[in-house]
Amino acid sequence: MKDQRSYFEKADFQSVLPLQLLTAALGLTLVLLELAVAQWPIFYGSAPNLSVIFIYCMIIYHGKYVPIFTIFLMGIIGDFLLSDLLGGRATSFMLLAYVMQLRLLRLQQSDFGQLWVDFAVSCAAVSLFQLLLFSAVNIAIPSLSPILFQTGATLILFPIGFVLVFAVHRLLQKVKMV
Amino acid sequence: MRVSDKARVRQRRIVHGVLILISFSLMFLGKADLAALRNLRMGSNDFLAPVVDVVSAPIRGIETMIEGVRTVASLRAENVRLQGENDLLKRWRRRAEILESENRQLRSVTGAATVENRTPITARAVTAPGGGFAHTVLIAIGSEKGIVQGNPVVTADGLVGIVIDVGRAYARVLLISDINARIPVILASSSWPGLTVGQNGPFLDLQFLPDEAKPEIGELVLTSGHGGVLPNGLPVGRVDQIKDGKIRVRPAVDFRHLSYLSVLVGGLDGIDNSNLDLADFYTPMPIDDSTRLLEGLNSSGKRK
Repeated sequence: MKDQRSYFEKADFQSVLPLQLLTAALGLTLVLLELAVAQWPIFYGSAPNLSVIFIYCMIIYHGKYVPIFTIFLMGIIGDFLLSDLLGGRATSFMLLAYVMQLRLLRLQQSDFGQLWVDFAVSCAAVSLFQLLLFSAVNIAIPSLSPILFQTGATLILFPIGFVLVFAVHRLLQKVKMV
Repeated sequence: MRVSDKARVRQRRIVHGVLILISFSLMFLGKADLAALRNLRMGSNDFLAPVVDVVSAPIRGIETMIEGVRTVASLRAENVRLQGENDLLKRWRRRAEILESENRQLRSVTGAATVENRTPITARAVTAPGGGFAHTVLIAIGSEKGIVQGNPVVTADGLVGIVIDVGRAYARVLLISDINARIPVILASSSWPGLTVGQNGPFLDLQFLPDEAKPEIGELVLTSGHGGVLPNGLPVGRVDQIKDGKIRVRPAVDFRHLSYLSVLVGGLDGIDNSNLDLADFYTPMPIDDSTRLLEGLNSSGKRK
C-alpha cells in the first residue's frame, strides 16, 4: 500500500509556531511581571506565582500552544532572575506540566470549582517540591510564612487568570467559527 | 491514534524527560558554583535586567501613586510627628557632636586606627526578592563602576547586604535576611560578638553569642568587622525577641522599601573575596575564655 502519511500531514497542516512563540513571549513577560510585582511591599519575598496560573490554565485550554520548552524557559529565567536554586522552578514547572498532561481529559471536563481545588493542590505541590529541593540542597529550612503567603496569594489570583485565559479561549473559538 | 501521532507523543515524552533531566542536573551544577555558570547567570541578568526595569515601570508608578495618596491623607499627622522627631534629632545632634569630639580626642590619645576608607556609590535596586527561597536584589551598577564581589551595600538605616555577583552593568546583592547570609556582629552596649543568620523571612537569628551575654530587647546590633569584608559599626538591626534561648533581630533596614542603595567600594585590599561562601569566611568566636578577643567591653571601653 502506498504511504499516504505525508499527503495527509500536508492536508492537516496548520502551523502553530507563531502562536507558540506568542504564548512563549506572554509567558516570559509574566515571569518578568512576577518580579515587578515583588517590588510592592505587600508581596515582598512572596510574589504570587503568576507563571503557575498561566501554565495551568494554558495546558488545559491551549496545550498545543505551550510546548514543554516554553515551560522550561519560563522556569529557568525565573531561576536566573530570582536567584533561586538554578533549575528548581524549571523542574517543578515541568513536572506539573507532565502530571497535568496525564490527567488532561479529566481536567478539561471539570467545572471551575473542581479546577480551583485541583489548582490549590497543584500549587501546594509545586511549593512543597521547591521547599524540599531547597532544604535538601541547602540543608536548612527557610521561613515558611512567605511561602504560605505566596501560595495563598496565587490561589486568590487564580480565578482572575482563569477568567482571562477562558475569555481568550472563547474568543479564539468564535474567530474559528467565523 | 495514527502512527505519526504515536511517534509524536513518544518524541514529546522524550524531550520532556530530557528537559527535566537537564534542569535537575542544573540544580547540582548551580550549587557547585562553577565559574562558567556564574558568568552565564550574570550575563543573563545583564541582558534581562533592563527588560525587567521596563516591565516594572508601571508597577512602580502604581506604587508611587498609592504612596502619594497615603501621604496626602496623613499630611497633618505626619507634620506633627516630624516636628517632634526634628526636636529629638537636634538634641541627638548636639549629643553626637560632643561624643564625636570626645571620640577624636580618645583616638589621638590611644593611637587607635580609624575605619578604612570606603567610597559610597549610589545604585538603584532593579528587583526585589520575589520568592521565599532567595533574598537577593539586582542593582543597576556593575564592574564598569568598580564594583567587586564582597562590597557591602548599605542605606542610611544600616547594612543591606553584600555584593555576591558582578556583571558589567548590574550586580546581585545577597541580603542579610537570606538563609545563606551570616554577618559577624557585636551587641552595641556590651560588645559581645555573635553572628546573625538570615531566615529568608523578616527577621534574623542571632547565634553564637557567649552564654555570659545578656542581650536586651531593643538593643542595637552592629557589624563587628571580623573577617575584614564588612566595616565595623554598621547597624544590622535591633534585638526584637528573646524566647527559649533564641534571639531574634529585626533588621535596621526595611527591605520592603528598597529603592536606592549605597555600595561601599574599596577597603577590600588583601582580602580574598573570590569565594564568598559566607559560612566560610567567618569563623565564630570560640567559647573558651582564654581566647576570647572582645570580652564584654561596652562602647566606651569599660568592662561590662
